[in-house]
Amino acid sequence: MSGTRLTRWVVAIPMAALALATIYPLVFTTNVAMKTRREYVLDRFSPADSPSWANIVKAWTSVGMSKYFLNSVIVVTCSVALLLLLGSMAGFALGRLRFRGSSTLFLAMLAALFIPFQVIMVPLARIMADTGLIDTYPGLILAYVAQFLPFTIFLLTSYYSTVPPEIVDAARIDGNTVYGVYWRIMLPIGAPALLSVGVLNALFCWNDVLISLLMMPSAENRTLMVGVTSLRGQYSDDIPTFASGVLIAAIPVLVVYLFLQRQIADGVTAGSTKG
Amino acid sequence: MAPAVLIIVGLRLWPLVLGVNFSFTGDGDRNGVLVGLDNYLTLFSDPLFLTALRNVGLLVLLLPVAVAIPGLLATFIYLRVPGHRLYRGVYFFPAVLSPVIVGAIFNLLLAFDGPLNALLGGMGIGPVDWLGDPDVAIFAVVGVHVWGTFGMALVVFLAGFATLDSSLLDAAKVDGASLPQTIWHVIVPSLSRTIQFVFVTTMIGMLTSMFGLIYVMTGGGPEGSTYLPEFYVWIQQGRMNQPALASAASTALFLIMLVVGLAQIGILRRAGKED
Repeated sequence: MSGTRLTRWVVAIPMAALALATIYPLVFTTNVAMKTRREYVLDRFSPADSPSWANIVKAWTSVGMSKYFLNSVIVVTCSVALLLLLGSMAGFALGRLRFRGSSTLFLAMLAALFIPFQVIMVPLARIMADTGLIDTYPGLILAYVAQFLPFTIFLLTSYYSTVPPEIVDAARIDGNTVYGVYWRIMLPIGAPALLSVGVLNALFCWNDVLISLLMMPSAENRTLMVGVTSLRGQYSDDIPTFASGVLIAAIPVLVVYLFLQRQIADGVTAGSTKG
Repeated sequence: MAPAVLIIVGLRLWPLVLGVNFSFTGDGDRNGVLVGLDNYLTLFSDPLFLTALRNVGLLVLLLPVAVAIPGLLATFIYLRVPGHRLYRGVYFFPAVLSPVIVGAIFNLLLAFDGPLNALLGGMGIGPVDWLGDPDVAIFAVVGVHVWGTFGMALVVFLAGFATLDSSLLDAAKVDGASLPQTIWHVIVPSLSRTIQFVFVTTMIGMLTSMFGLIYVMTGGGPEGSTYLPEFYVWIQQGRMNQPALASAASTALFLIMLVVGLAQIGILRRAGKED
């Protein structure tokens, strides 16, 4: 089979080219963000003559990216905290406690997992409008929690069902209530799974545009991704500022990726090996 | 546990029922009035929705390519081409970026006077209007979607490879099997579950997570050629204020997803049995 060295090197060349194609778009965008408008119009490819942060600063301050950034941070933080709290409770209950009807409930969660947002977005928008939650932080947070909770519960349930039941029994004998067991034992034991699921949920919420577009109609409530889309129209003749906005939205993801790539991959693959 | 159930039932399962219900009522003046199948008739006489359906057909045709690319790359990484450790990290990165970011970056790259056309021009290939030509744009958008998501499937494939029995590969090597033979007779059958999972998730991804790309890159144009059902739902709900028609479209989308999902599982199961 692939034994010969030659085949390996022949395959390696297109693979390296593809790796370049994966990296280059970001390098290009970064380079553009460092250029002046004039420089960009004259030559879009050359490295920036005197790389400057001016466009980034402009995008951050006068264009309003800082406000959008803050909106995103607030919404993502609250959503992920709620998702982990509710998801771990439900995962512990479904995976470890087992009670009458727990398998029916788990099936209902699975069913919810396969309902895409597009299918429920119209009625959801009406529910949010009727309850006055539309265009508010709690409304968007609730929409994210509803969207990603089935996935969170699914992963945490399969994680908690691998915890030996003796641990729970021993803790109960020591006089802990069910909630005591949850707080003192299950949360710490679940830490690796919680980190993985949490990072993945944070990425989902941070990257979302459809839900936020639907739930936050007014301009000052825009999340960062919606903000980026609005830049496109406004700054179509000022590409360096546009590229700066894109960069501001991408950098947090890059940083998270560099540190937590392992956890992200674990979360993505958890469903495939257990499913 | 209880709040999790409440959120999922209230904001996921209930809206599904509501949405199907909505789809049989009227818009505007006829708000709330039962109109039977009128919305569905409107839907299937709307050229935009028909284009969206045709594009779904195109996605189904392109699906094997979108699965084969990460599958082959994962095979090469598993067989340790030079630099395999690096590739995994590099290839996976675009998968964590928001479609908005990816779309915005490719807006710059695919511009008529952008880098890709400059590169092709250098090789003597005339400029292509990637996002402005109705016959080309949908391929450009799907291509960018594949660029942005192949890393996800790659990681799933690699997790599948981790469970592969390496003695089978050694046996194939001893028997003098070529690389294509090894892939077809050893790797594909042993990874059938993983392949099935990737097929289904890739299709779901194509049907439900291209909104951001379309929204940023083409806005459904040129001439409505890049519409997909999910984009149609959003336009009817968010722009045209026709929630009942949007509900009908989303119900149709849900049915498409059910059919596609079941059909794929059926086909792959039969293929699996023949081996």
